[in-house]
Amino acid sequence: MLFFKSYLLPRIIQYIVVILIGTTVVFVVPRLMPTDPVQKTLELVALQGTYIDPEAVEKLRETLKELYGLKGTLFEQYIAFWKRLFKGDFGPSFAQFPTPVMDLIRISLPWTTVLLLLTTTLSWVIGNILGGLAGYFSNQRWARVLEGVAMVIRPVPYYIVALGLLIIFAFAFPIFPVGGGLSVGRELHLTLDLLLDIVRHAFLPALSLVLVGSSVWFMTMRLLVSNIVREDYVLYAQVGGISDREIVFRYTIRNALLPQITGLALSLGQIFSGALITEQVFAYPGLGTLLYNSVSRGDYNLLMGITLLSIIGIATGVLIIDLIYPLFDPRIRYR
Amino acid sequence: MFSAIKDLLKYDKRFTFGFSVMTLMIFLAILSFFSPYDPKVWNVVPRDMPPSLKHLLGTTSMGQDVFWLATYAIRNSLLLSVIAVIISRVIAILLGLITGYKGGFLDRFLMTINDSFVILPLLPILILIASVIKGALNINNLGILLGIFGWAWDARVLRSQILSLREREFTYTAKLSGMKTLSIIIKEYLPFIIPLIMATAMNNMLWVIGMEVTLAILGLSSLEIPTLGTMIHWSVNSQSLLLGIWWWILTPVFICILLFISLYMLSVSISEFLDPRTRLQRIEVMKG
Amino acid sequence: MKQFLKVLFVSLIVCSFILGSIPIAFTQVAPQIPREETLIVDILGGRIINPKRFNPWVIGVSAGTDSGIQQLMLEPLWMVEYAKGRILNVLAKEPPIYNKDFTQMTVKLRSGIYWSDGVEFTADDVIFTVETLKNNPGMSYNTEFNMYVDKMEKPDKYTVVFHLKQPNSRFHSYFLDRWGACRFMPKHIFEKVKDPKTFDFYPPISLGPYVLKDVDPAGYWRLWERRKDWNRTTTGKLFGMPKPKYVLYIYYGPPEKKVMAQVRHELDMCDLTTETLRAMLQQNPYGRSYRKEFPWVVNIDPCITGIVLNTLKFPFNIRDVRWALTLSIDIVETIGIAFDGAATMGALLIPPTPVYHRWYYRPMESWLKNFTLDIQVDGKPFKPFDPSAPYRLAEYCKKRGYPVPPENKIKEIFGYGWWKYAPDVAEKLLERQGFKRGPDGKWLLPDGKPWKITIMTGTNPATPGYRNAFAVSQQWRKFGIDVEVQTSDLAGTIIQRGDYEAGTTWPAQEPWGGHPDLYRTFVAWRSKYVKPLGEMAIGGPGFVSRWSDKRLDAIIDEMEKTAFDDPNLIKLGIEGLKIATAEMPSIPTFGYPGVVGWDEYYWTNYPGGENPYQQPYHHWPNFKFMLPFLKPTGRK
Repeated sequence: MLFFKSYLLPRIIQYIVVILIGTTVVFVVPRLMPTDPVQKTLELVALQGTYIDPEAVEKLRETLKELYGLKGTLFEQYIAFWKRLFKGDFGPSFAQFPTPVMDLIRISLPWTTVLLLLTTTLSWVIGNILGGLAGYFSNQRWARVLEGVAMVIRPVPYYIVALGLLIIFAFAFPIFPVGGGLSVGRELHLTLDLLLDIVRHAFLPALSLVLVGSSVWFMTMRLLVSNIVREDYVLYAQVGGISDREIVFRYTIRNALLPQITGLALSLGQIFSGALITEQVFAYPGLGTLLYNSVSRGDYNLLMGITLLSIIGIATGVLIIDLIYPLFDPRIRYR
Repeated sequence: MFSAIKDLLKYDKRFTFGFSVMTLMIFLAILSFFSPYDPKVWNVVPRDMPPSLKHLLGTTSMGQDVFWLATYAIRNSLLLSVIAVIISRVIAILLGLITGYKGGFLDRFLMTINDSFVILPLLPILILIASVIKGALNINNLGILLGIFGWAWDARVLRSQILSLREREFTYTAKLSGMKTLSIIIKEYLPFIIPLIMATAMNNMLWVIGMEVTLAILGLSSLEIPTLGTMIHWSVNSQSLLLGIWWWILTPVFICILLFISLYMLSVSISEFLDPRTRLQRIEVMKG
Repeated sequence: MKQFLKVLFVSLIVCSFILGSIPIAFTQVAPQIPREETLIVDILGGRIINPKRFNPWVIGVSAGTDSGIQQLMLEPLWMVEYAKGRILNVLAKEPPIYNKDFTQMTVKLRSGIYWSDGVEFTADDVIFTVETLKNNPGMSYNTEFNMYVDKMEKPDKYTVVFHLKQPNSRFHSYFLDRWGACRFMPKHIFEKVKDPKTFDFYPPISLGPYVLKDVDPAGYWRLWERRKDWNRTTTGKLFGMPKPKYVLYIYYGPPEKKVMAQVRHELDMCDLTTETLRAMLQQNPYGRSYRKEFPWVVNIDPCITGIVLNTLKFPFNIRDVRWALTLSIDIVETIGIAFDGAATMGALLIPPTPVYHRWYYRPMESWLKNFTLDIQVDGKPFKPFDPSAPYRLAEYCKKRGYPVPPENKIKEIFGYGWWKYAPDVAEKLLERQGFKRGPDGKWLLPDGKPWKITIMTGTNPATPGYRNAFAVSQQWRKFGIDVEVQTSDLAGTIIQRGDYEAGTTWPAQEPWGGHPDLYRTFVAWRSKYVKPLGEMAIGGPGFVSRWSDKRLDAIIDEMEKTAFDDPNLIKLGIEGLKIATAEMPSIPTFGYPGVVGWDEYYWTNYPGGENPYQQPYHHWPNFKFMLPFLKPTGRK
């Protein structure tokens, strides 16, 4: 009970406050910027070559403002936003007026979630295991080779990694598809064929993310472990005849994991903003392009919808981590 | 200080490597001041020439010398990342230490701010800000901007480390022996978290360089200022990979790799050097 | 440990081979859809965010309109054909018939045109569409139709008479397709719909020669199938059977990805950049562009590119400054930097395409040659026009190792000329206005402050605007002005807000493309539409220069009273262009160099430079009229 009152309750209040602050910032910032969704609509119409009568423009602007719900002061709009949100409605997208924002997110969300959930976890697991091993057995040759590989991949800009993979596996040796998430004409029935098709399309994007991701975790983990290896208890364990395998997994990696878990929680929370460059290079469906378009198009509602998802995702990740810290490091107590 | 560097150079190969690469980079950065070409002017040399004695690293499709362009890029990218890293490290370390050690209301308040920064979707906000400050997005401002947005995650990591240290025996011992908070933090905690600070600083530096590359690839930074990011932007957009102008794209990529490895080597060997436990061993080695 | 790594490595390789080997051969686009019967084209606008929406009648919303909706599914009344410079009657049988004071327009429809579900297209659909758009705010043309349409009547099944609230001699332009127009919705479907705005129209029925077969739920492709009754569509009636049985619209990602797809023969027509085109031609023996040889690019795109100047902002309000900026540009170097020599220069604020050459550039050639600026050089009035510029550009291309077109083609391909590269005259013009050079040779404003120009442009490196910005910044920097290029996704909005000095939207509003009337271009410079700085400009290109001229106003008024088919329009156009040229509100540089990549592995007879029977783009609505002329190669 004390735990609840003195730790959990304030922590949950903090969680809500953080989400409120984040949402408000995302609501206010775009509206203070020179982005103007009405203007963007008119620009698009003009750029597409359609002729707008100059006499009609002012009236058109008013109509669009009305439709997009952009009339009234910032504060009035803010109130209206919360009112709508409590009804579970993000409102219509401007770029795809009047399709609801939720519908658009629903199309892209599954792609992003599956790809990024998988690659984030996979890179974390691979990176930490290999990094832990390489840190413990730092004198072995394979450990050095691994370290060398990770050291080279880690700093290469992601765009280059992705493009490089594409050039090798889709161009020089055309094994994988050039882009997209699904083959043409593939029916959306749950069959093995469809599954294989999805995996085939997701393979290169996933590979690029795992390559880069795991080398990031690898480097940090290796550093952490090589530090822990010098702790007294590891030495005692070695002297005490406990097998290397057990020391690595039970003592060193486990103890080095705490900061890594924080990192994992944050990156898992972040997946909801999508992976913009991955999506662009591989032409892979996802929330990243949607988010980017919404920013440049001034699609406030869509921007809000995606960022709110991301905000809640990250905040929840952080919350969960705070709550389960003690499981991993019993030395931490709630205060 | 100098004797420490001398020792490190003598006994630690990694330090020697990292140190010499870093020196080379700084030398190249300084060399940019003596460049015969203005990096903003195109068509000063023949286009698309492969590396030769006259043009050490070849030339670009815009008629620029890759070598001299790279010296500018190193200078600007280093400057940018140093600004960003310093700003974000100062905030992160202060916040991490204070919140981790003090706890209570202050912790909650600061962590609320911290978490608000953590959750903000960075890219959209950067894009919006970049569009507002328009021409002012030069190296300094971009550094400050990335510094302001780059500390939150690491502050949390540091805090969690402090949280764990706080409960260890030596904290109690130190407290009981009447040490002040500040000196506990500096004397007892800092050696433990320096490896972590080093690691996060290195990661942050890479994050800054990577973020700059991302912004440049999206066309959102000042593209006429040569940085590693804008070099990659121009070479990618001129299809240097498909057209086989490899010297153009590989130069910034190699510089990224070299920079990283040297930073990594330096940070590993310095944190080992500072670690009180290894220092003893080292002294023995030196004696022996 | 080593064992573990080995296993990991081997299993990775095995996995990738299994995954990679599934359908290795690309003989089929999809089950039952043979590759050789399919034309695969690129989606210009990228991924379709809302793949199952086929309702393009909401204003400013692209429901993937360029992924088949405007090219294959819908038809306009009339269509601009800019390759030959004419206007095609599509659903309309003949050009619009106006009454004397332009308050009434009669449209005669073709008979025997059917929707893909077997219902005939009649005057009812036209009237219903206009009524629906008029009654629903937020739908396209809603404001315009409310302003102009009083009532409509239907004397017979194939005739519609529009009664207008106020005279409008160009009312039909709302139905004239130029990458957008009021196209029609099927009355029998939409009349049952409660809200035509929220209605997705999926699966859609079509009036064009193809009907939707399948869509990608993730938004990367849309597959269209030829209608069995293609002969009951206008395309069929006008040009015969479209050859591909299927058309697949697909987006592969950035240009380098399109090259990869095209080399794999998985993409027949696409938009590329100069560099990616070079890569594609290197790697793909079946690849070609608009021209089979240098300069490859499309030279008939009805767009002029250039630099817009904010003429309400000091010092761009001074004519001498605008001319100085023009004369300090070496057009040959600019085109060299921007497109490696592959573009047509345009000295006037209209596109330098063959049809506009015929209508304006050629008739105005002698005027251009004799045009003088009121400044003396060597005691003679200075003539700024440089007819030798295209030959200098040809010289540049020769130096770069490209085969140069024959003498008689130079004007068509490189243009009629441009403004002299005369930094010395530019210097005089600036000095006359009190500008000075500082000790470092950089220009100072009359008040002694350094002169700094920021050029605003977008972030897409493939666009000519982007390339113009960087190329021209090189020129002005050389001249001693401190120039900075700023790229932003919001460039368009910032420019329209007037918060800029120079930028790279089109320097003038584009004309119709297939018709000599310049009303559309000039109207953007009408004085009553010029907004003061700080207020949003009324529109984009043209309007954002915020420039006007009393003499031009008179010409615009005159044009409004002149019918669309009146030969006098060219004369009025020439008079207007003379004013616009002398004042130089914004600087034209070259025509839009469309870079297209075509793969001739499965299909040939694209409308290339050697036989421009038609406009060449896959994203223009006229695309459907090209399909009956394509020839299958028979390769499988």
